[in-house]
Amino acid sequence: MKRSKTTSPRPQGRAQGRALALLSLPVFAFLVIPTAIVVPVALNDSRYITFPPEGVSLAAVQGFFEDHAWTTALSASLQAAAIAVVLGVLLGATAAIGLHGRKFPGQPAVVGLILAPMIVPTVVLALAFYQFFISVGMVGSIIPIGLAHAVIATPYVYLTTRASLAGLNPALVRSAQSLGAGALSILRHVYLPVILPGLVSGALFAFSVSIDETVMSLFMQSPSATTLPVKMFTDIQFNLTPKIAVSSAVLVTVATVGLLLQVIYVLRRRSTARMLPLAV
Amino acid sequence: MSQTTLERVRPAGRPTPGTSGGRPRRRSGWWLLLAPILAFDALLFLTPLGKLVGSSFSDNAYQRVLSDPLVLRSLANTLTISLASTVVTVLLGYVIALVLWRSGTVMRVVLFAVVLLPFWTGILVKNFAWAVLLQDNGVVNSILQAIGLTDHPIELLHNRFAVIVGMVHCLLPYAVFPIFSSLASIDDRLALAARSLGAREISIFRRIILPLSAPGVSAAGLLVFIISTGFFITPVVMGGPGDMMIANQIDYYARQLTDFSGAAALAVVLTVLVSILVAVYQRVLKAGGQHEAL
Repeated sequence: MKRSKTTSPRPQGRAQGRALALLSLPVFAFLVIPTAIVVPVALNDSRYITFPPEGVSLAAVQGFFEDHAWTTALSASLQAAAIAVVLGVLLGATAAIGLHGRKFPGQPAVVGLILAPMIVPTVVLALAFYQFFISVGMVGSIIPIGLAHAVIATPYVYLTTRASLAGLNPALVRSAQSLGAGALSILRHVYLPVILPGLVSGALFAFSVSIDETVMSLFMQSPSATTLPVKMFTDIQFNLTPKIAVSSAVLVTVATVGLLLQVIYVLRRRSTARMLPLAV
Repeated sequence: MSQTTLERVRPAGRPTPGTSGGRPRRRSGWWLLLAPILAFDALLFLTPLGKLVGSSFSDNAYQRVLSDPLVLRSLANTLTISLASTVVTVLLGYVIALVLWRSGTVMRVVLFAVVLLPFWTGILVKNFAWAVLLQDNGVVNSILQAIGLTDHPIELLHNRFAVIVGMVHCLLPYAVFPIFSSLASIDDRLALAARSLGAREISIFRRIILPLSAPGVSAAGLLVFIISTGFFITPVVMGGPGDMMIANQIDYYARQLTDFSGAAALAVVLTVLVSILVAVYQRVLKAGGQHEAL
């Protein structure tokens, strides 16, 4: 009789729950441990890569930031990410607003085109960009790499912006129009407040996509345009060095900050669906 | 009366909003908003891909590439490594999705964050961490020796096992979400009803939860398989010479052999295969009633 209460817990018994938790513990450990060891490894007081660390020291971090090759790579990565975020936000947001609440023949094709860069394997895009930028004479700088990152980052911004627009009643836009609001003021006062969370989330995704992207940057690399992941990829094939560890720690820190921002956002909005604008 | 008021309020000569006179302005604004992305994708996405496809049709590239034993080997590697990774990923992903589904709101967000941590971390960072853990004097080997399973370090790195470990770690988030969302759509009352009729927990899982989450499992499996086929970094960092996948072969043709038409032909083969799988994936999503993707 007491069972019929609607507040009754999930449809499995307590013992089963404990068994499941026990079973899942190694799986969660498998997920977390590799990321968790990165920072301790970078702070290890040893010339070799070891885990668990033998002592805490900032020597490797100092070595990283004093090594011109690594700091250049870090700065190249940040430049590419800046291009990708700015272009991705502009293109993704305008596309989402332009398509909001509108139906026209060919619309599925337009949406398909916007999302297509997520589906094409990056190695295929890398090859295509490699050939393309050579043929137009754009090689040896970070700009083509930033543009390539923008191509794969834009769909993420489009999806997060579209998700935040889902709650916007198109009638609001129409009433603003009938009250005499111009296109720019509608963008600023109707659309911008609604899409802002989606834009921020999309910008984070774009940054993360760009800063971690390796394959396209590898194909388009040159001595003056070697990103952090490319430098890591090249070095890692010879040896596991403390500088790779520091570089990994830098990227993990960036990822953790991005993730924490997302968690705060989700806890405030109570919608876990927003954490991952997943399409393929 | 009210009609005359309205008439007076509307400025003379200005068309009524909503009638055909008001539309053109809206329509032009809407095209202006779509123009940037269309121009950008036409120039920097369709043009490079078009050139790639174009160059794949020169020099007899398809015949040449598809009769190369190295290519056939890398295709076979791609198939077996992707299949193995997919099976392991979906199994582990199901366990995680079950835990997520059964936990309360705050715990769920925390666990979601745990699942998303590898999703946010770059692939090189993850592979580097695995290389540290699996190296000869790494912590995994130390544990194996400490519990007496072996008296000398086992080669855990630079083989197929390592590639699959690295790939599963990257792929897990992609499996958890489709499975979780199909679990979340199951009506709790079904299990309650079964329990009140005397069903045991095991049979509730086997006969209610498992079948009802099957669409999520197949969506997850397809998605994970699609992503696996394009892996490039992990086979290089964690695999041996015999574990090269199709993406590595494309790289080899392009940057080592500088055979661009051959590389392009391989790239087209990979893209066509992936596109077919994506079409199937979307069918599965539709059939399963999931709308969280695309």
